[in-house]
Parts: sequence; structure tokens; C-alpha cells
Amino acid sequence: MGQLGYLFAANAFVWAGILIYVVSLMKRNEALRRDLELLKETLEKDGDR
Amino acid sequence: MSEELEEKEEESGVNWFLWGLTALAFTATVYAIFVYVPTEKQEGVVQRIMYYHIPSAWLSFFAFFIVFSSSILYLWKREREWDIYAHSSAEIGVVFCSLVLITGPIWAKPIWGTWWVWDARLTSTLVLWLIYVAYIMLRLQSDAGSMRARYSAVIGIAGFLNIPIIHFSVLWWRTFHPKPKMITPEGFGAGMDNSMVMTLMISLGAFTLLYFLLMGQRVRIEKMKDEIDQIKKERFYSN
Repeated sequence: MGQLGYLFAANAFVWAGILIYVVSLMKRNEALRRDLELLKETLEKDGDR
Repeated sequence: MSEELEEKEEESGVNWFLWGLTALAFTATVYAIFVYVPTEKQEGVVQRIMYYHIPSAWLSFFAFFIVFSSSILYLWKREREWDIYAHSSAEIGVVFCSLVLITGPIWAKPIWGTWWVWDARLTSTLVLWLIYVAYIMLRLQSDAGSMRARYSAVIGIAGFLNIPIIHFSVLWWRTFHPKPKMITPEGFGAGMDNSMVMTLMISLGAFTLLYFLLMGQRVRIEKMKDEIDQIKKERFYSN
């Protein structure tokens, strides 16, 4: 592998690492936000009964 | 408009501003690395890896410093808030320490002729990564509570003590890893060309902004988990 190949590999790993982590945080955030909303809705419905 | 709604809108505005600023900083970083900075004479084009490698190391050390200080504050005040900051920062630190351990060998191979050597700098960095991976594993394997927070805080503090060893390892022992070029006895950035110092500073700034962005997201996750647990607990005990 030439010098450009090593530079490309390092660049790819850094960007992929950052991107995967950001996406995983956003997904976890969204899933928890949905759970929380659902829980609050359920509690409100139970309270109305 | 309710106070809670106003707060959320304000938080969302700050968040978008930080996203925009970070994106702008990374655009400037990529431009500086691939267009602005000249190719280093001795190492050639592969030396440009440095502009990712050093900022990743800086970000992970900064993240572990936040773990260290938040852990001390947790042990002192016993407030869950500090445990959240420590845990969130440890995860970010591990991600970027992993990037240091990946980009380092990729840079080393064409320059040293080998991916890895067991010299003091590389080995102590690997030990740091292992300590904080253990920290995260401990949190995953044990139940939430003050006991987990206390044990984690102790590991978080002990792990950080390795960072001065990493920093001074290239001065205390003979290593393959080069000596610091930014902070030298001759002055700041004395071992480098001005354009290289400037590129490194832009990259360090972008990575620092990214830390605050990720930290905001990660802390929110922990707070939502707590809120869900709290609601479930209240519900369980009220029935």
C-alpha cells in the first residue's frame, strides 16, 4: 500500500468512527424519547380511567 | 408558552448552533489538512494523519479529565449528576482513544516499518484504553445505584493517573514515538512550521467542539433513562 493508501485508511477510520458513534447516540436518544412519551401517555390514560 | 417548552426550544436552538459550528470547523479542518498545509519533507503525505491522531488523543485525554473531576465531585457530593457526566465522558473518551490506537499504527507502518512496538508511549496508551473499557464494562454488568457509581468513580480517578505517564513517557524512556512538537522547551509549536501549527489548532478546535456536542447528546440519554426508571418506580410502588 502506498502512502496515499495509509492516509486514506486513517481518514476513513476516523470519519467512520465519528459517524457510527453520532448515529448510535441519535438512535438511542430517539428510542428513549419514544419510550418516555409512550410511558407518559399510558400514565395519562390510566389516570383518566 | 410553558416554562418546560421554552426551555426545550432554547436547548434545541443551542444544539443546532453547536451542530452548525462543529460542521463548519470540520469543513475548515478538512480544507486545511488536504489543501492548505504543505506536505512534510521527511515523512511525506502520510504525515497528514497527525492532524487526526493528535486531536483524537487530545479529545480522549480531555474526556478522561472530565471523568476524573466528575468522579471526585461524585465521591464528595454524592449527586447523581456527577456520575452521569463521568459515565458519558468515559464513553466518548474510549471512542476517541480507540481512534488514536487505530490511526497511530496506520501512521507507524510506512514510517517505522511496523504496525506496533511495545514502547512506553504506545503501551501506556493501550493500558489507558483498557482501564476505561473496564470502567464501561463494570457499569454495564452491575445494577444502577450508589455502589456502582462509587466503584466506577474510583476506577475513573485511578485511570486518569496514567495520563501524566503517557505524556512524559517519551521524555522518561527511549521510545519509537516522537517527542512532543507542540509543547516544547523552546516554545509553543517551535518544532513545527506555522502552517502546520495553524492546521493542528483548527483540528483541535473542531474536535473540542465535537466533544461538547457528543457530551450533550450522551448526557441527555442518561437523564431520559433516569426519568423512565423514576416513572416506573413510582408506578410500581403506587400500585
